[in-house]
Amino acid sequence: MNPNLAEENLQTIRLLMERSALYRRALAPIMLLAGILGLLAAVIGLYFQVESSRAFAGLWLGTACVAVTSAFLLARRQALKDSEPFWSPPTCRVGQALLPPLLSGLFLGGLPAMLTNNWAADFIMALVWLLFYGCALHSAGFFMARGIKWFGWGFIAGAIVLLLSVQVTGYQGSPLSANWVMGFFFGGLHFAYGIYLYFTEPKNPAA
Amino acid sequence: MNPEPFLQLDRLIHEKGRLGIMSMLAASPELSFTELRTALGMTDGNLTTHIRTLQQEGYVSVAKSYQNNRPLTTCSLTPAGRKAFAGYINLLEQIVKQNKPK
Repeated sequence: MNPNLAEENLQTIRLLMERSALYRRALAPIMLLAGILGLLAAVIGLYFQVESSRAFAGLWLGTACVAVTSAFLLARRQALKDSEPFWSPPTCRVGQALLPPLLSGLFLGGLPAMLTNNWAADFIMALVWLLFYGCALHSAGFFMARGIKWFGWGFIAGAIVLLLSVQVTGYQGSPLSANWVMGFFFGGLHFAYGIYLYFTEPKNPAA
Repeated sequence: MNPEPFLQLDRLIHEKGRLGIMSMLAASPELSFTELRTALGMTDGNLTTHIRTLQQEGYVSVAKSYQNNRPLTTCSLTPAGRKAFAGYINLLEQIVKQNKPK
């Protein structure tokens, strides 16, 4: 056998193995936790009437930070339990796929809060976050279970429908409507998807 | 060049299509027929033939079930398949190592 051919075969094998290794770690607990945190943030936003765009951005970005940190800890705990490296190739690829849309959404969504402190900006901010978060999930879905892509499409479709309805009807939202939108999508959808995964996911996933 | 490692290569795995199937299954607990077909760009018939060959050799196990009322065929490597694949990789590495300039 030509040694170059042997090397090429090894490269192909490596490529195929990397492509087929999907991120499956702790998805159900992460989704459930994100859902609970989202619902909790919505309750806080509605109860304390968080209206000004800076307070709104602070509440939801704070919730996002807690959710990301908790997700990181949950995934790390499972990796330690299974004696696997935390930064496995699928984890790296999921991280790389999530980062650009999340950072873009963070910047573009946060822009209204920097420019104005009016509640009218909250609704648009929420829709921009939904849109970019959906794109992030869809990108990461190439390295995760197939359902994640559809989950991402749910956010994208929701954001587009709401953006179009704002455009067509001229509806600006009420002072608290952005909290409802965020609670429904980031709280309700994550929670529902977490429950679905809890009952359908294999019990011993590998990263 | 020592031809020994080459002669020991498992002919069943060495075929391009079957090597692709084994490589993908080695990195994942299980994959559906559709996932394999999409990733490897094979036709249904071609993939079925290769999977059947690997199954007959005891390298791959196939499970049929239903998901959302639709039939789902999933494939996974058996312990014998995993061992044979690891052996195949070792031999390839030996061939590459033998021919590296010292």
